[in-house]
Amino acid sequence: MHGMKFYVGIWAGLVAATVIEVVTRSIPGTFAVISVIILLISSGKAVTIAMYFQHLRYENKSLALLPIAAVLGVIILAVAAWMSMAM
Amino acid sequence: MTENYESSEEKKSSLTPLIIAGGLAILFFGLVVYIPLAIGGAVVLAIGVFILFRDSVEGKFADLKESVEEKWPLEFLSKRKLGVWIFLLSEILIFGSLIIAYTFVRFSSISWPVATQVHNVTLGMINTIVLLTSSLAIIFAFVSIRMGNIKGLKIGLFSTFGLGVAFLVIKLGIEWPAYYRNGFTISSGLPGSTYFVLTGLHACHVAGGLVAVGYLIVRTYQGGFTKTNHSAVENIGLYWHFVDIVWMFLFPLFYLI
Repeated sequence: MHGMKFYVGIWAGLVAATVIEVVTRSIPGTFAVISVIILLISSGKAVTIAMYFQHLRYENKSLALLPIAAVLGVIILAVAAWMSMAM
Repeated sequence: MTENYESSEEKKSSLTPLIIAGGLAILFFGLVVYIPLAIGGAVVLAIGVFILFRDSVEGKFADLKESVEEKWPLEFLSKRKLGVWIFLLSEILIFGSLIIAYTFVRFSSISWPVATQVHNVTLGMINTIVLLTSSLAIIFAFVSIRMGNIKGLKIGLFSTFGLGVAFLVIKLGIEWPAYYRNGFTISSGLPGSTYFVLTGLHACHVAGGLVAVGYLIVRTYQGGFTKTNHSAVENIGLYWHFVDIVWMFLFPLFYLI
């Protein structure tokens, strides 16, 4: 268990990543490239919150099976949706 | 207090989960077919939540322990924490499905308005920082109670509550009315309906989180948490962080891309 200084550091990193996301929107590049960069930053923020604020980093690894199973379900839905669109 | 199931029939029997589930079912069914029915469902739901809240405050959820221990991979977790994680699993599927549906609709549409022409990026960014700060505040509450610091717990919980309210005020009190004035409404087309359904559902979750944090505040003033007994703070914190995580995806999908 960390002290508040550690969590404030994580929070500052998340706020900085948010600002970078907003700035990324106005850099030159194609819509697809910028979208991928922004979504990668967002995914990184989400994982950071889960790992450190929800303490998944320090829990027994078996617990990670629950959110991983749910994300896997969402990925299956996404693939099914995109496949149906491509057909 | 630890008791065997066999000797605590009265304690383990409760109709409250059925009342809450029934209220939710009537509410959503009513929203689709008949609004007054939905209001009735909301009343049943409120009664169920009230009974749950009352029973919890009165300490009716004393831990029960099975006479025969279960053996399975998650036995190291308390039942309440496991329940929260299974609940979050279902929430990931709900929001994940809706987000997938949104991207499916968006990228199969011939035209879609540019995000910055419709949405206020500055307000979206402020709301993101407000929600991130609220997550930090509930962490502060948790770290404080782990050290037995009740004053810190109160500061953390009130800050979380205030920041949650601020998020809803910005979202529902400033952004949404501005969209409606500009003709961007839930019935103005797919961009509007997807935006209001997803951010509306998220706002409902924030409101639910506020009720939960309000419960923590009441319990704190009743002396319900100590250095060794504070699992509710951690478990409701898990939910609050999840609401934060969902917004980490909604913000870029609607405001930036």
